[in-house]
Amino acid sequence: MNARLLPAPLTSVMARVQDLRESLTPRAERAVALARARWLFRSFQTVGQNVAAYGPMLVSNEGAVELGDRLTFVGGMMPSSLVCHEGARLVIGSDVQFNYGVSLESWVSVRIGARCMFASFVRIADRDGRTTAPIVIEDDVWVAHGAILMPGVRVGARSVVAAGSIVTHDVPPDTLAMGNPARNMSLELVSRESGA
Amino acid sequence: MVGEAPTVLGRVWIHGPGEIRVGHRVVLDGRVAPIELHAMRGGSILLGDDVVIEGGASLEALQSITIGAGARLGTFCKVMDNQHHPLRGNRHERPASVPLVVEAGVTVGSRAILLPGTHVQQGATVAPGTVISRRIPPAVTVGGSPPRVIRREVAG
Repeated sequence: MNARLLPAPLTSVMARVQDLRESLTPRAERAVALARARWLFRSFQTVGQNVAAYGPMLVSNEGAVELGDRLTFVGGMMPSSLVCHEGARLVIGSDVQFNYGVSLESWVSVRIGARCMFASFVRIADRDGRTTAPIVIEDDVWVAHGAILMPGVRVGARSVVAAGSIVTHDVPPDTLAMGNPARNMSLELVSRESGA
Repeated sequence: MVGEAPTVLGRVWIHGPGEIRVGHRVVLDGRVAPIELHAMRGGSILLGDDVVIEGGASLEALQSITIGAGARLGTFCKVMDNQHHPLRGNRHERPASVPLVVEAGVTVGSRAILLPGTHVQQGATVAPGTVISRRIPPAVTVGGSPPRVIRREVAG
């Protein structure tokens, strides 16, 4: 029906309904995401509060998984996957955000610090068919789109892993790692403080 | 705005309030995975004539992404004109966008990543998995991360 033909009160009511719907949709999505996370992560040993999964995920836990508070798993074109094999540990700190298509696999130990950000199609696995070694990611790390972290890597606090990088060696704190294989450069030299 | 005779296979997701213009005879093949066209507020995505985009490609524009006529984007390409987070400082604010241009006749391989500031010139080829953030001269093949010229087309 054409909105112009409707009497004025009805259009204002419809506008109000539209506003209400727009304000409620994010909350409804949030509620669904929280419920979905609770269902998906039911086999995990510890799950913090306000863990939200905004899309389908592949989850399998035969080891020990600990999730922190306020995690976000964004949904998208590919499902994220969290796999923890027998006897392995997977620890994720609080306030970590995951975009879609992230693949986390733990055969021994994968530790992720607080406030990290993982972009889409990031792959973190501590076994690559040849070596098996634990991966440690410290606080405030940003891993950009399509990066791969190889076994035995330790990424220092506040570091950034650039898009498409393949990290084969340790990354010190406050460092930008980029390229294949990833080379480290100091963030002090690469960029200025925020706003610059 | 859509030109004549577009072909859409599978799923194509179009998000955001920005502007998306599609030329004639464009092929969007989202059978492998959905294609994502995300033009955020004030952003524009311009696809030229005869552009082919394969599944899983994701184009995110805050300012402008231009794909020239006859260009091909492979599966799971990522094309973005904004880094979305600054390297240092408050990670929740947006850095400035840099317009991204892919000129006519370019072939972009699968899983390549085109970062802000990319300008792939006419007829260049981007090998699969390449990460680009600057100008690529015409009619060369680049590959790797950081990218290098693999092959230079012989003139004529």
